[in-house]
Amino acid sequence: MLKIVNLEAGYGPMQVLWKISLNAEEGNVTALLGPNGAGKSTTLMSTLGSIKPWGGEIYFEGKDVTTLPSHKKVEMGMTLVPEGRHVFPNLTVRENILMGAYTKRASKLMKESLDLIYTLFPILKERPGQKAGTLSGGQQQMLTIARSLMTRPKFLMLDEPSQGLAPKLVGEVFETIQKVQSDMGLTVLLVEQNVDITLEVAKYVYILHEGTIKAEGTSDTIKHSEDVRVAYLGI
Amino acid sequence: MEFLRMFSGDLINGIILGAVYGLMTMGLSLIFGVLKVVNVGHGAFIMVGAFIAYWMFTLFGLPPLLSAILALIVGIALGFFFYYVVMKWLLEAPELSTLLATFAIGIFLAEVAKAVWGPDYRGYSWNVGSLNLGVTTIPMAKVYALLSSIVIAVALYLWFKKTRAGNALRGVVEDKEGARVCGINVEGYYALSFAIGIGLTVMSGVFITLFVPVGINPYMGEVYTIKAFVIAVLGGLASPWGAFFGGFIFGLVENGSYAILGLIPGVEPFSLTQCLAFAILLVLLLLKPEGLLGKK
Ligand SMILES: Nc1ncnc2c1ncn2[C@@H]1O[C@H](COP(=O)(O)OP(=O)(O)OP(=O)(O)O)[C@@H](O)[C@H]1O
Ligand SMILES: [Mg+2]
Repeated sequence: MLKIVNLEAGYGPMQVLWKISLNAEEGNVTALLGPNGAGKSTTLMSTLGSIKPWGGEIYFEGKDVTTLPSHKKVEMGMTLVPEGRHVFPNLTVRENILMGAYTKRASKLMKESLDLIYTLFPILKERPGQKAGTLSGGQQQMLTIARSLMTRPKFLMLDEPSQGLAPKLVGEVFETIQKVQSDMGLTVLLVEQNVDITLEVAKYVYILHEGTIKAEGTSDTIKHSEDVRVAYLGI
Repeated sequence: MEFLRMFSGDLINGIILGAVYGLMTMGLSLIFGVLKVVNVGHGAFIMVGAFIAYWMFTLFGLPPLLSAILALIVGIALGFFFYYVVMKWLLEAPELSTLLATFAIGIFLAEVAKAVWGPDYRGYSWNVGSLNLGVTTIPMAKVYALLSSIVIAVALYLWFKKTRAGNALRGVVEDKEGARVCGINVEGYYALSFAIGIGLTVMSGVFITLFVPVGINPYMGEVYTIKAFVIAVLGGLASPWGAFFGGFIFGLVENGSYAILGLIPGVEPFSLTQCLAFAILLVLLLLKPEGLLGKK
């Protein structure tokens, strides 16, 4: 579904990603694990196009989308739940949700999408008029996930959805992600630092370290590979 | 009694001028709100609008209300032009770059105007009768300026709240990364906001000419740049609606102080009004730096 080949990217003069290749298989959860500053967010942002790749190729459903602007990619069915949530703080919960149905394709399916996300996130249905900025961290995370589902993605990237959440909430968020993924048949690329929960959820895992892929394999392989665990995950 | 009559007349004029001030500042706030760029060349675009009104009137007898539409179109075109030629390349650069760039655009426009039309002060008068309000008589031209400013502000408000593009733009203002992942063309809306902001500004220049009988010249913009800055800060800087109401307040203070200053013997009120307006605003800002309508 999504294939990245030799992706290079950076900021100003500083190169962050060095020829990264990875593959997110259709209908699965693929994860990208790595420590702070490894380049995980940079990978997701250059995949969506919020930053321009320096080199390499990105294929979505077989089409070369490397230089496509992000709004076109969202129209095609890719989107991202960015790190740090990025809700629209002064807009209401409902306005936030509806913003997800901005593209032509998504706006045609809006009614149906609304039913879907209100079943998944009943809390959002209860407070349509509340300003998004006044929601708790966990609720904001739910809201960004709901908003991203309104775009009707086939391929969803999630950047550290557990960040800053209490352990109990982390479990809740991941349950939702799994449920959405299987109900909607989504392909998911998950970026995380929370190793245990990621290995539980993901089918295939890439380990990113200092801008290069240092290891990859099924969750089971990674789980049992002492080298990888000690060297890159610090556990 | 005579004082009260004069004072209420001044206040009415203040409200009318304030509406035009508000319109004049909305573009500045819109551009700041979306692009986080302070357009230091703001006044030069007002000057362009003033010249459009002047030439259309003197050459073709076109009334300012029609020139305003032309000015809006010219302004939008200028906005897109300067966005794609200059601003687009500077958005990631340090703030000083955009300050210098818009400053340069302002000087460029003023010098072009001087080269083409000369440095003279020009003016025209559009006589369409007047409205007698008892305490004062107001030229209908100014009444039209007031009504047009309100109509435009309301239209912009409705566009923001009710249309797909307006909503998307609110998203861009709130969180640009959030807007991007919803499939909103963030860079496209940057260009559009800059164009609309400049369009409104050039258009406001047309209405300004109705208040300065012989004040049209290439450098007239400077004083409006400063006034617009003060009004924008009053209104909370990033909000076009705040700016509109800030304009009313500024107009009232500027005009209201005229009559009061006239009471002081030996004072020539005209030159002092502007000083006083700024002094009052300075005090206001010291007490409430987030602006009268701004949020903390
Ligand atoms: N906007 C930016 N400008 C300059 N450098 C940046 C920018 N964003 C990230 N970097 C740098 O790029 C490198 C990779 O950052 P990135 O955000 O991709 O890491 P990450 O793996 O997502 O880390 P984290 O787990 O902390 O989110 C880091 O060294 C970071 O300092
Ligand atoms: Mg990150």
